[in-house]
Amino acid sequence: MRDRGKGAGRELTKGIVRTNPLLVLMVGLCSALAISTRVESCIFMGAAVIFVTVCSNVIISLIRGFIPDQIRIPIFIVVIASFVTIVDLTLKTQPAIYERLGVWIPLIVVNCLILARAEGFASGSGVYRSFMDGLGIGLGYTVVILIMSVFRELFGTGKIVLFNTTLIDLKVDAMPKILIMFPGAFITFALLLACLQWYQDRRKPKGKGAAGNE
Amino acid sequence: MLRTIINLGLRLTLVCLVAAVALGFTYSLVEKRIDEQERKQREEAGQEVLSSIGAAPEEDPELLDSLQEEFPDLTGVFDGLDGTGNTVGYAFVVRSKGYNFITMAVGVDSGGAVTGIEVVTNEETPGLGSVVAEDPAFLEQFNGEGPEPVMLGVDVDAVSGATFTSKGIADGVNAALEIWEHIGKRRQVRDEG
Repeated sequence: MRDRGKGAGRELTKGIVRTNPLLVLMVGLCSALAISTRVESCIFMGAAVIFVTVCSNVIISLIRGFIPDQIRIPIFIVVIASFVTIVDLTLKTQPAIYERLGVWIPLIVVNCLILARAEGFASGSGVYRSFMDGLGIGLGYTVVILIMSVFRELFGTGKIVLFNTTLIDLKVDAMPKILIMFPGAFITFALLLACLQWYQDRRKPKGKGAAGNE
Repeated sequence: MLRTIINLGLRLTLVCLVAAVALGFTYSLVEKRIDEQERKQREEAGQEVLSSIGAAPEEDPELLDSLQEEFPDLTGVFDGLDGTGNTVGYAFVVRSKGYNFITMAVGVDSGGAVTGIEVVTNEETPGLGSVVAEDPAFLEQFNGEGPEPVMLGVDVDAVSGATFTSKGIADGVNAALEIWEHIGKRRQVRDEG
């Protein structure tokens, strides 16, 4: 780790901006593309992912001295899977939500974004910094799926419905339904990446390449 | 070498034990609420499939018990009662195998005709089988079929691209029809004897 722990706040913000899991690291895309059809689902999915990243990061950081190198991956998976199962069981008491998130909750286990943080960060960092890192990465994931879902739900269905209340209604019938289907996920994600790239290019001083080491 | 293996094994076992205890504890906390939710869903489904003949569902645990040995995939039975309390049909909650498991309620009237199908839960592929399993246009084809087993491709059209799910639903309906027939036969034997 290059940054030497001064200000754990940086661990938090880096997950949202500089090493955003979806836009920069490009991990955990599978669930993000699939789930971002409705804002409401994204709120719950985001909360679930934040819970799992934070808890698994903290636990793995706590027991990092106890984990032998050879079997670290199985132990990470056991820890992550346990927290995911806890989320899964808890959400099962709310069938309306559970039905919509369906298979994606159990699949958080194999979401490489969480394993990547366990392996790449929590297993070598202190508890507090791991907590912040988990929170930041989870938030980074959530923010991006929220942006995608707002775009997709609004322009794919013409309105945004949150907890049975219609927040925005464009009152247009013929919306491009493709946006809430699978191709729409890729289109939306690509647009988002393009916007980000355009913004970064603009910020860079002219003439200089990508040598900047933020 | 041996010591390393034992050391690794013990550590992994310990982690798994702690995880298992934590999960067992969580499960004991939510178990009741999950059961209750599932029961509620079943009840609503029973209501739904019997509504076309105007019957009210009433859970019949005794009948369920007597049938379950022969039909292990049956998870719930509702008597469909008309206004005067006569049984005019049944709703069966059955588990069927599509691509994965589908739990569905099937309403059958006194003549053995399907009165409605409602999928309670399905684990089909999201966006593919799961859509078919909830598609009213597909499910409504079954209404009025029976008591002879439904033949996919003859009586109802399967949905292309989701053959397993279509077949799973048809199998579920046929299971319900078979149970209905079984109840009828049993009653006949009882009446004669």
